[in-house]
Amino acid sequence: MNSRLERVASARKFSITPSAKANLKVLAILGVDRVGDSIRLAATKSLDDMVVLVRQFRRLQPNLAMPIFVAVAYYIGAKAAFLIGTLSDRIFAPFWPPNVVLFCALVLTAKPQWWRYIAAAFPAHAIAEIEVGMGASQLLVAFATNCLVAVFSAAGMQGLVVGPRWFDSLRKACLYILITALAAPMIVSLFGAFVPILGGGELARYPMFWLDWYLANALGSLTLGPVALIWAAGRGRLSDIVSGWAAVEAAILGVSLVVVCSIVFKVGADSVPISFLPALFYLPLPLALWAALRFGVKGASCAVLIVTTVLIWHTLKGPNLFVSADAALSVITMQVFLLGLSVPMLMLGAAIDEARKATRTVRDSEERMMAAAVSADVCLWHFDRSSDDQLWLTEHGRQMLGLPNAEPITRQILINAVHPDDRESARQSLRDAFAAGKLADVEFRIVQSDGRARWIRCRARADERHDPQEISGSFTDVTERKAADIELAQQRHEIAHLMRVSMLGELSGGIAHEITQPLSAILSNAEAARILLRQEKLNIDEIGEALDDIIYEGNRAGEVIHRLRGLLKKSEAKFEPVDINDLVNSTVQLLHHELIARQVKVATSLAAELPLVSGDSVQLQQVLLNLALNAIDAMNDVVPSRRMIVITTKVTDESTLNVAIADHGIGLKTFGSEDLFKPFVTTKTHGLGLGLSLCSAIAKLHEGTLTLANNVDGGATATLTLPLGGALPVMNSRSGS
Amino acid sequence: MTFTTFLVDDDPGVLKALSRVVRSAGYNSVSYSSGREFLQQSDPSTPGCAIIDLTMPELDGLELQQCMIDSEDFRPIIFLTGQGDIPASVSAMQAGAVDFLTKPIQCQNLLSAIEKAVQRHIKAREAYTERKRIEEKLARLTPRERQVLDHVVAGKLNKQTAAYLGTVEKTVKVHRARMMAKLEVRSVADLVRMVERAKIKA
Repeated sequence: MNSRLERVASARKFSITPSAKANLKVLAILGVDRVGDSIRLAATKSLDDMVVLVRQFRRLQPNLAMPIFVAVAYYIGAKAAFLIGTLSDRIFAPFWPPNVVLFCALVLTAKPQWWRYIAAAFPAHAIAEIEVGMGASQLLVAFATNCLVAVFSAAGMQGLVVGPRWFDSLRKACLYILITALAAPMIVSLFGAFVPILGGGELARYPMFWLDWYLANALGSLTLGPVALIWAAGRGRLSDIVSGWAAVEAAILGVSLVVVCSIVFKVGADSVPISFLPALFYLPLPLALWAALRFGVKGASCAVLIVTTVLIWHTLKGPNLFVSADAALSVITMQVFLLGLSVPMLMLGAAIDEARKATRTVRDSEERMMAAAVSADVCLWHFDRSSDDQLWLTEHGRQMLGLPNAEPITRQILINAVHPDDRESARQSLRDAFAAGKLADVEFRIVQSDGRARWIRCRARADERHDPQEISGSFTDVTERKAADIELAQQRHEIAHLMRVSMLGELSGGIAHEITQPLSAILSNAEAARILLRQEKLNIDEIGEALDDIIYEGNRAGEVIHRLRGLLKKSEAKFEPVDINDLVNSTVQLLHHELIARQVKVATSLAAELPLVSGDSVQLQQVLLNLALNAIDAMNDVVPSRRMIVITTKVTDESTLNVAIADHGIGLKTFGSEDLFKPFVTTKTHGLGLGLSLCSAIAKLHEGTLTLANNVDGGATATLTLPLGGALPVMNSRSGS
Repeated sequence: MTFTTFLVDDDPGVLKALSRVVRSAGYNSVSYSSGREFLQQSDPSTPGCAIIDLTMPELDGLELQQCMIDSEDFRPIIFLTGQGDIPASVSAMQAGAVDFLTKPIQCQNLLSAIEKAVQRHIKAREAYTERKRIEEKLARLTPRERQVLDHVVAGKLNKQTAAYLGTVEKTVKVHRARMMAKLEVRSVADLVRMVERAKIKA
């Protein structure tokens, strides 16, 4: 970063925005180190403008070539003007080209460079004026006023209108007209009028001289100025202005204009009745309008220049309506006519350019947006209830939804494209969006023509007004994400199963024991019965009781296996009414041996008449087992007499149910207990740390929650909350076809 | 003599079944569902053995064994367990258990363990009665005869005994003969053996 620039900028009270800073950096790289220019360049808003400015800047960098070129142009312009004066005694030059040349040079360079051009122009001016025999004082005053008007105009333009494009808005065109065709010439003309006086004119004719001088400069600015400025400021290549068929059109236009103007201006005062005359002069107007409409300011200014040129040409050639006995008057009438034509044309051209630029910007922005939407695979749509039920959809959307091109799409067609199972939820969601004004966010399937289904996510929002009629939104294809979701769900299912198996592995000692007890009882009863049968006096009752006990113990063992089988299942989650109290008791049974081995006591406080919960009993049992095992593990280092787990079930309000497992262990250490629910996070010395994250996922699947909290009197409580009543969503782990 | 088995197990089904087996084999049985109950309600002087489950809540088998030893309850113990735990079995046997069986219990193993316990009981009983008899016989001795007994058992000659006691050999011989007659032994060897048996208690 060029800190010198920064310092100077802040000294001059320029605020340097971040974009300006970036620009300054670029300029430093490009070798632009003139402070004032850099800051002006840095202030341009777009990179394109800046590049053009830099190019202009470079082209007009302090060098010798440009000022010399300007001097030559100045000379040629002066000579041309004088030539017109000499070619005819009817008129003299209606404008003064050198001023326009000087003005263009000055307006396109930085102020510190201006002296070079003025210095270069002086010799050209002097030579040209001496050649027509102008006196020294006249010459000097003339030069001074020429420079003054060019300087004023250039300074005004640079101050109020920021390049590089000078005519691309109506405002800029109006400012150009005001500065170069009104303010500057009007004021400088006060001095310029002295030139003819110094050359021998009468002081009494000062107003006339003033008007002459003013009109000449104003006209030059309006007829030559725009074309010259556009050419000088742009690349200056014709191909840049028009190309292809447009070039042909421009050529036709130019030629027609020349022809029409020739006709109009040739007409003498006597060939046409006087009442026709105003109409006659409107003839070039349609062509000029055509030029302005099709080619903007470029076209308008060229048309004006053509008319001017043809008019001067024909006036030099012969008499026409403008020419009267007094040459001065003739010139003035021409000037007024041309001024009257050029001002509106210029403004129209600028307005057209501005409008075109605006539509181009809008169109570009729209294209960019569409391109972005397509690349994001998003389709945009808009629906207006009141307009015939028609739906507007981007092209991409028709493709996405498999709808035929070109046909207008109604709501019905769209609904028909949706998979029958999802139609109602999609409709309902849109109805809600209309009714409650909330964001509709719904996913549904579309059945394509080849029979395959794709998942579409629709987000839409209706107008914020009361009783909205319009809604707009987007469709996104989320098939891959859905497939990934399903796969994720399946993997989670697998992991849950593995966790269950692993938990059972932990409990295997206890479970084996749970089965050994009944087996032992069965064996002993059978052996006792055997012995009893060998006795002489059969004790039938005792034998009968022994057999009854065998049956009972056999069933008991069967129960244990039954409980295990539930846990070892890997089948799909099945939602059915579950009695949580039963589940708690079953869990305590499964843990029976474990509890004894670890010397942990269990107390249950189960709510009577607990309503049934809709859920998958295998998964819920898994959660309870896991939480209970955690509770047992938490009390490993606690004195055996204090090892106690309390399990409570209760209904908290009419729609939720709580199961709480409280222990007297070491409690939760981490402050962010959220971390404990993350996978692979564990405070135990064994295990993977997946238990809590799985339990939390199961809780969420049941639309419940799982929370952990420290108890006031030591230990922690895990609370599983489940919603009561109502069927749970049907969207289980179905495959996406 | 009635021999009672005391069954201690927290599982009611197992308790019932064991009771049936034991009774069908002809023994008496009393069931307790916890170690505490057993300690509080069972009389240590009743002849019998305890059949105790190792894994019970609150007071487990090994702890119960320790309590019995501490309170000088010398009833033999047979341990039952659902797991074959080697360290537990070792400490149980070292602390004097009769046997250590794993569930499911086979009736044969249990009954032979009970038999062993019965035998141990009988032997203990016999030893006890024997001691009592000897003590009773020893009580018949006069103090002088008692002194002579000590010296004879120590291997001293009559001459030495007389010198020690301050009397003559002849007197010692008389005391000796009377003592041997009272104690109903014929040889010094028998005398020494008897005294040894009595000394266990003393």
